[in-house]
Amino acid sequence: MEQYKDLIFSASFFFVIIRVCVPLMFASMSAYTANLSGLPNIAVEGIMLIAAIMGVLGSVWTHSAWLGLLVAIASGILMALILAFSAIKLKTTPIMGGIALNVFASSFTVFLLFVITGSKGTTASLPSKVLPTIHIPIIKDIPILGEIISGHNVLAYICMITAVLVYILVYKTKFGLHMRASGLDENAARSVGINVNRVRFTSLILSGILAAMGGAYLSMGYLSFFTANMTASRGWIGIAAEAMGRGNFITVLLTTLVFGVFDAITNVLSLTNLPSELLQTIPYLAVFFAIIAYSIKEYNKKKRNNA
Amino acid sequence: MDDIILSLQEITKVYDNGVFANRKVSIDFKKGEIHSVVGENGAGKSTIMKIAFGMEKQSEGQIVYKGKPVQFENSMEAIKLGIGMVHQHFMLIPSFTVAQSIVLGNEPVKNKFFVDYNQATKKATELAKKYNFEIDVKAKIETLSVGAKQKVEILKTLYQDAEVIILDEPTAVLTPQETDALFIELKKFRELGHTVIFISHKLNEVKQISDRITIMKNGESCGTYNACDISIEKMTELIVGRELSTSFEDIKKKLDNTKAVLAVENLEIKTTKKHTLNNINFTVKSGEILGIAGVQGNGQSELIQAIAGMRSFTSGSIHLNDVDISTIPIKQRRQKGLAYIPEDRMQDGIAANASISDNIISTYYDSPEISGKVFMKNKSIRTIADNLISKFSVKTTSAKTKIGSLSGGNIQKVVVAREYQTDPQLLIAEQPTRGIDIGSANFIHNQLIDLRNEGRAILLVSADLTEVMDLSDKLIVMYDGEIVAYFESTNDVTDKDLGLYMLGVKKQSEEEIRRAYRV
Repeated sequence: MEQYKDLIFSASFFFVIIRVCVPLMFASMSAYTANLSGLPNIAVEGIMLIAAIMGVLGSVWTHSAWLGLLVAIASGILMALILAFSAIKLKTTPIMGGIALNVFASSFTVFLLFVITGSKGTTASLPSKVLPTIHIPIIKDIPILGEIISGHNVLAYICMITAVLVYILVYKTKFGLHMRASGLDENAARSVGINVNRVRFTSLILSGILAAMGGAYLSMGYLSFFTANMTASRGWIGIAAEAMGRGNFITVLLTTLVFGVFDAITNVLSLTNLPSELLQTIPYLAVFFAIIAYSIKEYNKKKRNNA
Repeated sequence: MDDIILSLQEITKVYDNGVFANRKVSIDFKKGEIHSVVGENGAGKSTIMKIAFGMEKQSEGQIVYKGKPVQFENSMEAIKLGIGMVHQHFMLIPSFTVAQSIVLGNEPVKNKFFVDYNQATKKATELAKKYNFEIDVKAKIETLSVGAKQKVEILKTLYQDAEVIILDEPTAVLTPQETDALFIELKKFRELGHTVIFISHKLNEVKQISDRITIMKNGESCGTYNACDISIEKMTELIVGRELSTSFEDIKKKLDNTKAVLAVENLEIKTTKKHTLNNINFTVKSGEILGIAGVQGNGQSELIQAIAGMRSFTSGSIHLNDVDISTIPIKQRRQKGLAYIPEDRMQDGIAANASISDNIISTYYDSPEISGKVFMKNKSIRTIADNLISKFSVKTTSAKTKIGSLSGGNIQKVVVAREYQTDPQLLIAEQPTRGIDIGSANFIHNQLIDLRNEGRAILLVSADLTEVMDLSDKLIVMYDGEIVAYFESTNDVTDKDLGLYMLGVKKQSEEEIRRAYRV
């Protein structure tokens, strides 16, 4: 028991929480911005995966990690635009479009991997670049706090800043108000002249950028190469966190954090001799029970209102 | 002629299925007047207003606004020119505040991107003050009463600088006090030079508030009159186009040995906020039509849904032929002899994409008559469908036609035919003739009387007072979730008196109301 306690109540554990939370945060913010405008994006997982490999390939072609990130973001925008176009212009249900993109992404990335590297496993053989790690001056010298907060990948800090920006966008700006109106009641929004389709297109682009950064983080920060299906359902966990936040951004972030903590526990416990297969189920079990708890709460609420 | 702000000229609207909603309708609206457009449900009032507001396009004719011909592609263009509309179904977002709702779409901004919420609150407050609206602009929409929500809708149009404000059946959902308050506001708009277009089928209100009145019938205009020149009787005659009380008395048979078919006892539906239904006690006997009168939204829908099995209730009991059906599923209720013509035929009455014959058997598809062990007996289905189509004179080429492509009247005939076919003990008819042509309505009324004469029990709910008064044997009036009056005969009460009960002004004593529960 002692050893578990030491593992969990250490500065490095909190460092790990931040490390594993970053892709989840990007994923849930991606799901959030899309859903808020009334066009759910369930292709978060697929977009992350595509962006992860495109980031790696981009950095190989351009010899620059930053340009690689741009390539990743561009690919994310493209994926999101396909979804938006098929849902808004071609009027397919966004769920169908999302499924198609997810299926496409998981196979296409492996295909690309094989064509370029000859292996179906990883891009470790390619000379890809990694985004820099930042050691924050002054803070890095503070004991414990420095150990936890400093020394993360640059995308982790971008993630934190993005969270603040998304909050401002949604709750303070005109566009945010239009996003919420379009998502809550499309007809009411249209009746006052809001161009709902344009709002949704823009929101989806934003959603694509966010998911892409999450994907790029995985292959250019978290690890230094791409591996097949490396997103490992992080996109779906983000969607689950978004669903539980019910349109409230802070709740979305907090739920994501809870999932992140469980993910971190898995990570840390894998250093012990507990069976890894069992440990890896922890975050998913957390999602599972969280959703059940949430449904029960919602059901009771509904019952109280209707009885 | 200069003071005419909006002129509709020979507007014709034909829907794709060939139904004429409007035929050469011409109406001139003057600046600074309250102009009512009245007519029965389905007379084309709403359609013509949707055309004026750019929500629908006319097939022929033109709209002239401030002397210039205009063609609206969508309602945004109408709003920009100064035409606003308050819809019957509000366009409000429950979680937004009043101020947010008012400025939405045209928000005051600071630094180009950010909504200036202080400014929004200030503007909304000023606007409310200017027009004497008492409303808390910081309150959330979901906490407001219906009347207050309507105020927000009106403020929205004023915020968009509407000079012409169209109100579609604004009083249908309001309490009498709220209606009075609304009328004071509308008069204020007139003083300030706005034009108010008031759509309604409540003639006393129309007479009370309007400067001029246009009467519509069957999609055509029957002329525009000065309110002071036309009596309510004359309006009624023009609107209905027949004598007011088509008497069904002569064809109603007198039946003996009647017994209570439906008995509703102490029914109560309570939500966290209030009583939706309270202390409901009544019976419907065989061979009688019990009418429920009341302004929409006073618990009638909930009552019917509870009896039909579409919603649960807090306490009380419902008996059908002495069997407690309070908690059994819809299907078993139907097997025990309940039939139901729902209020919203497109939503609850039919499956629009299925054929007429599929719809006709949808409530008893598993009866041995038409369903074998594995396969459906298509021949007998066909026979039943063809028989009903001819008996109810449904206008269609075949029983295989998609029901959604029929006109409202014909769809409703199919619904009635289906419920009739099951030979019900109790038929619940909820707004059975809403929005359909007079011919079909008349036909359906006769079918209801036939069923009654055969000794069936019928529970009739209608917002159309004429319909309730004409058809019912006994009558109850509902207000605010309670029964406020019961009449042994429709001859015991005048329209006007009934109105007072419906508006909650009058209420019978507890004992008098108790009479509705007869054993």
